[in-house]
Amino acid sequence: MSGVASPFRQAGAERVDPLLVALWIALIIVAVVWIAPFIFIIFTSLKSNATVMGTGAFSPPTSLAWENFTNAWRRGDFGTTVVNSTIITIIKVPLGLMISAMAAYSLSRIQIWGHKVVFLAIVFGTMIPFQVMLAPIFKQVNSFGLINTYVGIILPYLAFGVPYQVFILHGFFKEVPKELSEAALIDGASHFTVFRRIFLPVSLPVLAALLILDFVATWNEFAMALVILQDPDRWTLPLGLMSFQSQFARDYGQLNAAIVMTVLPAAIVYLIFQRYFVSGLTSGAVKE
Amino acid sequence: MPARSGQLGRKLQDPTLQGLMLLAPAVLAYAVFAFYPMIDVIQLSFMKWNGLNADKHWVGLDNYRYVLHDDPVFWVALKNTLIWTFLSVIFPPLIGFGLALGLNQNIPGRSPLRALFYMPVIIAPIAVATMWRWMFDPFFGLFNSLLSAAGWPNLIQDWLGDRNVALYSVFIAYVWEVAGFSMVLFLAGLQGVSQTLVEAARIDGAGRLQLFRYVTLPALRPTITIVLILSLINSLKAFDIVYGMTGGGPAQSTQMLAMWAYTQAMQLGDFGRGSAISVVLLLITVAIVIPYLRWTLKRQEAYQ
Repeated sequence: MSGVASPFRQAGAERVDPLLVALWIALIIVAVVWIAPFIFIIFTSLKSNATVMGTGAFSPPTSLAWENFTNAWRRGDFGTTVVNSTIITIIKVPLGLMISAMAAYSLSRIQIWGHKVVFLAIVFGTMIPFQVMLAPIFKQVNSFGLINTYVGIILPYLAFGVPYQVFILHGFFKEVPKELSEAALIDGASHFTVFRRIFLPVSLPVLAALLILDFVATWNEFAMALVILQDPDRWTLPLGLMSFQSQFARDYGQLNAAIVMTVLPAAIVYLIFQRYFVSGLTSGAVKE
Repeated sequence: MPARSGQLGRKLQDPTLQGLMLLAPAVLAYAVFAFYPMIDVIQLSFMKWNGLNADKHWVGLDNYRYVLHDDPVFWVALKNTLIWTFLSVIFPPLIGFGLALGLNQNIPGRSPLRALFYMPVIIAPIAVATMWRWMFDPFFGLFNSLLSAAGWPNLIQDWLGDRNVALYSVFIAYVWEVAGFSMVLFLAGLQGVSQTLVEAARIDGAGRLQLFRYVTLPALRPTITIVLILSLINSLKAFDIVYGMTGGGPAQSTQMLAMWAYTQAMQLGDFGRGSAISVVLLLITVAIVIPYLRWTLKRQEAYQ
């Protein structure tokens, strides 16, 4: 970040700006409020139940009760839910990105009759909260006999990933200069080749951003999984956490250990790929 | 590329066919599992059906009559949804805007602060719900501990158990969850404010407030619109956090339309009534979304 060398100064100014200092202090105070829940949860996850009930909520744990984590892992059946979440995410995210990129290329570069209507129908989907339609989605998945299966959850996940991804990639592909693809097409290359050899490589940064966004969204999804994956052997991590909460409500240390274990993977992914998150979110929404 | 023989090879050279093949997988998935359910929910809203049996018959407007006339929960859920939406387009964007304005200045620790404020956005909403439910615990939770430590025991509440307070308690957790999202969009918008314009205004002697009023705010107009619309749409999706924190209780005081539709269909086994509620919510959404959609498309065309 620029500006670290001489902070609290307006561009080109010599003196420290008191308003910026005040602003900074305000931000730090808000930051403390923002971080407090995390610290509280981590502290509690390391306390025995007796300590939770005996000490103040914010007092650090005196002896670390690591067994909360192993117990929570076992009782919440994290072994099963983590595997299910991983399988579903690893199949869905790359596959979804692939079909969205193909569709976005087709819609932006090949003038098929009716492509505008198709594009509009897809963009419409970006605006519809699918939590509203859990019942008809359940009906649809059920009619294919796919309740409690990986395929049964992956197909609707694919469907609901398409609108946003197509919308973003369509905007990006539109701006790729014509010269880049026309020469290849004239030389007899197929659209498949042009897509694979030219458009996929140039859009790697956007694809990376979408990949990470979609990873987190899929990993965290709850409502659709709740309806389609009813068998505990097929539960994903969020479903496991939810049931853990109601089943073991009295084991505060374990409950908080379960929260920490659920939050950690997404938090790590985020901290590693932070840069792409921001560009991924904003490349479609705010473009000037 | 391997040589293709015969008719198939010649057909595959047709650009339209190639385009259709590239388009097909995404459109098929979207049509079958997203678009069709949108149509189907309308059809289901005129049916009596428990979701599983073969016994499914047409009942006309009965479900709507029941939902709008005989179901007291529907109106509570509608009221809560409206309150929730109203609060959601005000507080998270305002906080996000404030944070973005601060983090856009020359101050130390901008990157870690930005990462911190955005962190809750990437956590599973159901985990956020579980975290906050625990923090609101009346006996051992964070809030009541802090209040008694601060010497305000009379402020101690049953945050999620009191029907006058529960909706707002859940909303506080929601603000923590989503404010970072608005912040990131505003930061991107602020970065788009023309620096030459800022310099020019400065040289002309514009003060801080004037700069904000006449340069920054007008440049942020599109961003503000987008943030407000997205906040609005996202607020209608508030499902996980309510489900995880209160399940709609106590006494339906945190019930929302999306969750009531789910409860009617999936818990109470009445797909017709559940779908009728969904249709009402969809109509509200579409009424909001269509003007936005037209505006977006106009902007897109303006670029070309």
